[in-house]
Amino acid sequence: MIDQGYNRTREAMITAAIVIGVFAIWYLAAGIVAAGDDPLANAKLPYPHVIVERFFDDFSSVMSAAWTSLSTALLGFALGTAVGVVLSVVMVQAAWIESALMPYLLAAQMVPMIALVPISQTIFKNDTATRLFISAFITLFSVTVAVVRGLKAAPPPARELMKSYNAGRLRTLRYLDLPAAMPMLFSGLRVAAPLSLVGSVLVDLMGGSQGLGYLMLAAQTFGPAQATLVWVAMFVLLALGFLLAQAVVMAEKILAPWQPAMRQGSN
Amino acid sequence: MREAATVQHDHSAVATRPATVVATNVGKVFGSGASAVRALEDVSFDVPQGSFVSILGPSGCGKSTLLRLIAGLQPLTSGEIAVNDHTPDEMRKAREFGIVFQQPILFDWRTVEQNVALPLQLIGTPKEERKRRVGEMIELVGLGDFRKHRPWQLSGGMQQRVAIARALAFGPRFLMMDEPFGALDMMTRERMQTELLRIWASRPGTTIVFITHSISEAVLLSDRIVVMSARPGRVMRVIDVEIERPRTDEVRKDERFLEIEAEIRDLIFSQEHA
Repeated sequence: MIDQGYNRTREAMITAAIVIGVFAIWYLAAGIVAAGDDPLANAKLPYPHVIVERFFDDFSSVMSAAWTSLSTALLGFALGTAVGVVLSVVMVQAAWIESALMPYLLAAQMVPMIALVPISQTIFKNDTATRLFISAFITLFSVTVAVVRGLKAAPPPARELMKSYNAGRLRTLRYLDLPAAMPMLFSGLRVAAPLSLVGSVLVDLMGGSQGLGYLMLAAQTFGPAQATLVWVAMFVLLALGFLLAQAVVMAEKILAPWQPAMRQGSN
Repeated sequence: MREAATVQHDHSAVATRPATVVATNVGKVFGSGASAVRALEDVSFDVPQGSFVSILGPSGCGKSTLLRLIAGLQPLTSGEIAVNDHTPDEMRKAREFGIVFQQPILFDWRTVEQNVALPLQLIGTPKEERKRRVGEMIELVGLGDFRKHRPWQLSGGMQQRVAIARALAFGPRFLMMDEPFGALDMMTRERMQTELLRIWASRPGTTIVFITHSISEAVLLSDRIVVMSARPGRVMRVIDVEIERPRTDEVRKDERFLEIEAEIRDLIFSQEHA
């Protein structure tokens, strides 16, 4: 117990030291840039406190942009997860279904977003729908690949056990395969959560008229004086991505607490 | 669900009891063509009703495969197995087999209680009845204090007790055990053997088919031992163990126990040096 407390304190101290170090380097670098003759120094690398000030100055427009990005990302994430889980269940029903579908899934993942976004914009003719689609599309891949593996995780005797109870496919899925796939589902979700946000913002950057991406783009076109707003939008995006990833971790602790890594009081 | 208490254990000579499992010239081949593996060849034996039958042999003799054939988990390639005059598959669908594997195969997302309840839940046993049976089973295997524990919080022996409780929970006529104590340490293993005899004594009428490669385990537990040789798996000899029950640890020192143990050892070693 003493060791654990000691370790925790040490961990916290190291984290704090890193944060302080990053800020020190930042201030130093910003100072060097500002010391030159460059009149655009503040636009290139502003001091951190300038970014914080700017965040509060433009609070309402930043928040509304953040909400647009977050809400569409969340919806797309949920949609992609739902479709991904259903698709995985279909794929593991027979080896031929999986080998028939997997190449398309892999191919879909290789389509460059830079090509897919304009195409979906012309199809949907609606920014929100496009954001949803791109977020869901990105989520779908991570989730499907992970869940397909997870659904095969149960050992053969577990399947024989279900067979000895004369449980059919549906019951085996419900009582054995889906719970056994939960850890893999969450590992897919952890990867997909921040990416779904990036997908939503990408649509703003490529012709959207709302969201954090749009805020960045707009700030840049209004000249160097607005450059701090780009930094603000970027940090808000980072924070949201981090929160989303944390939310997935929390959900996992509640919904799948039996995994070896999360066990408490195990031997 | 039968009322187990009305049936008494059959104490007549093993050979005179009616057969419940009849295996006739059973063969099993895995794969086909040049890569085909003959796992079992011309295997014939009877399992008397309500008795404890061990299938004993070295690894690779197909004894686990044989268990799966009897339990209707895999199809036979040739020959015939009749279980109470039905095919193994029919009996499996009627949920007459409770199975215990070498690994306990407990579901980590369920508590001890929920693991034992699993087959009852799948069968659709009403909630009240389910609760009663689960409680009864958990008491029977001596885990009353661990109902709400998760499988990983239990020792290997305790996990295997949960697996036995789960296998018996729905009242199957057959308990099929595939080297159930193979992964346990020596002391736990011997304790579990006498525990199994105690548990079985409280479920009269239940027939146990037990796979093992331990000669002493087979002699201590069984009414009949089917000794097998490897590659392909064949029956070398069927030996009836006429040592009266209840048997305790003392049986290990019994003259007949040592005699039968020696007989089987000679049989297996003569085969190996041939």
